[in-house]
Amino acid sequence: MSHETAYFPGCSLKTIDRAYDVSTRLVAGDLGLNLVEVEDYACCGVGELKGEGLKSHYLPGRNLGHLLQQGQTEVMVSCNVCYHELSRTAYAWSRNESVGTEINRMLEAAGEPGITETPSVRNTLEYLVTVVGLDKIAQRVRRPLTGLRVAPYYGCLYHRPGAMVSSIQVAGEDPERPHFMHDVLRALGAAVVAHPAETTCCGGKNLLSDERTAGKLTGRILSQAKEAGADVLALMCPKCAGGLDALQPRAIKAAGEGARLPVVYYTQLVAVAFGHSPEAAYLKDMESGSFDVIRRLLQAAPKPALV
Amino acid sequence: MPKGAGIIERSLVQDDHILEHENLVMDGIDVSGRWNTMLKSRVHADRDLDAWDTVRQNLVATSIDNCIQCGMCTAGCTVAHEVEGFNPRQFIYWVRTGRTEELKNQADVVWRCVGCYICTHHCPKEVNTAEVIETIGQWLRTVVPERMDRAFHVNHQVYRNHLISRGRLNLPLLQTTFLRALGRQNELFAPEMKKTALKMVGDGRVLKTLRMGRPHRWRKNRQVLGSEA
Repeated sequence: MSHETAYFPGCSLKTIDRAYDVSTRLVAGDLGLNLVEVEDYACCGVGELKGEGLKSHYLPGRNLGHLLQQGQTEVMVSCNVCYHELSRTAYAWSRNESVGTEINRMLEAAGEPGITETPSVRNTLEYLVTVVGLDKIAQRVRRPLTGLRVAPYYGCLYHRPGAMVSSIQVAGEDPERPHFMHDVLRALGAAVVAHPAETTCCGGKNLLSDERTAGKLTGRILSQAKEAGADVLALMCPKCAGGLDALQPRAIKAAGEGARLPVVYYTQLVAVAFGHSPEAAYLKDMESGSFDVIRRLLQAAPKPALV
Repeated sequence: MPKGAGIIERSLVQDDHILEHENLVMDGIDVSGRWNTMLKSRVHADRDLDAWDTVRQNLVATSIDNCIQCGMCTAGCTVAHEVEGFNPRQFIYWVRTGRTEELKNQADVVWRCVGCYICTHHCPKEVNTAEVIETIGQWLRTVVPERMDRAFHVNHQVYRNHLISRGRLNLPLLQTTFLRALGRQNELFAPEMKKTALKMVGDGRVLKTLRMGRPHRWRKNRQVLGSEA
């Protein structure tokens, strides 16, 4: 199957969180997805202009305009923040005509292409499950992650609010108790560890400005996942990774040693299960020791079958 | 006994609204003891509707008018369980009933919303609570900025300037600017920050960030995005 879709990586995946971008591309390539990047992207807005009303739709609107201008109506997004922002603007555009007109008026004033139809904003996780399919993912596995206990962590913006992030609902994902990451991890042969913090917030918005709250929230997620018996926490948002991976020492300070847990992007696990090396999946970019966990797992496992 | 200890839902009552009498005689009957605690009259005559006007006129927050005060937003709220006094249902109540003094007293609490959208997701009346709370926070920023933590102001300004002037996020620069503006530059040398920073210099991620550039024709975008109103 070769299937083309537009892809929006966003600022963070283009730079410091390249691990998520690279692993998304590896996985997409293996599954016959041809990703066409949205050209001349701008920041998705990261929600920082929400208090300014209409302005908060400017940056996502510009990106959607560029998507449509390059002749595509569907875009796959890995970063949860970008996914949420683009979905939110597509939703506002389609739901309220006067808002849609205002968004386009702003874009026109800046000489940018406007939004001409409702684009379909898809999350990579949902895309893998619904468009590619779990069977196909399972078939492509070369090195099952047998024995690895993974705690899935969705964060917030993948599935909330259900009405705005419409691709999730169309796909039949449960916005109360999402399970697509559970399903994908199972298809890889990993042991999925359920835990109470699968969809609780990491406090990433105020990671540095309200450290006390962020420390408590990240500390709780990590310790609950670990308590449930996880070897690694799999996540899907670079903002969550900031608090759970790079600044994990602060979570440990807030919640104690129980919060020490290796963290990976779920796409990295898919890439490794598909036969890519931990280096190629950029596991070394993660700060919480996940590279060593995966390397040990691979050393213990038999060599992958030849492709 | 702490003040007002006998009050159920004590967290909803402010300290200075509680009247505790040593000995209280009413109509000749001594009601000291369990019954000596009274609340100040809550008759509210001077409604200040400035906040309501501002919030409901903001495109992202017009849904505030749908609120039926059921409290679903607050029951599931991430921050309500972490930060004392954080209560979205109550913030909306204060805005709509013109109790802006109460709201201003909590100015340093309102902005601590983490934007997780549990409230919006659970609202049975389609109030976009998360964005309503964000809008209330921005209103407070214009009226009582001095009552809010500097970290909030600096975070807002740094992000806004960065987005408008560059159009893309240079995250290491953003973080550095934020910490320096707050006088917290020492944190840049904290072990967890330093480790990541050095690694990113070594593996080329910093170079990649420096080369990210701006979107095309950004100057015109900047004018539109940065304009007032």
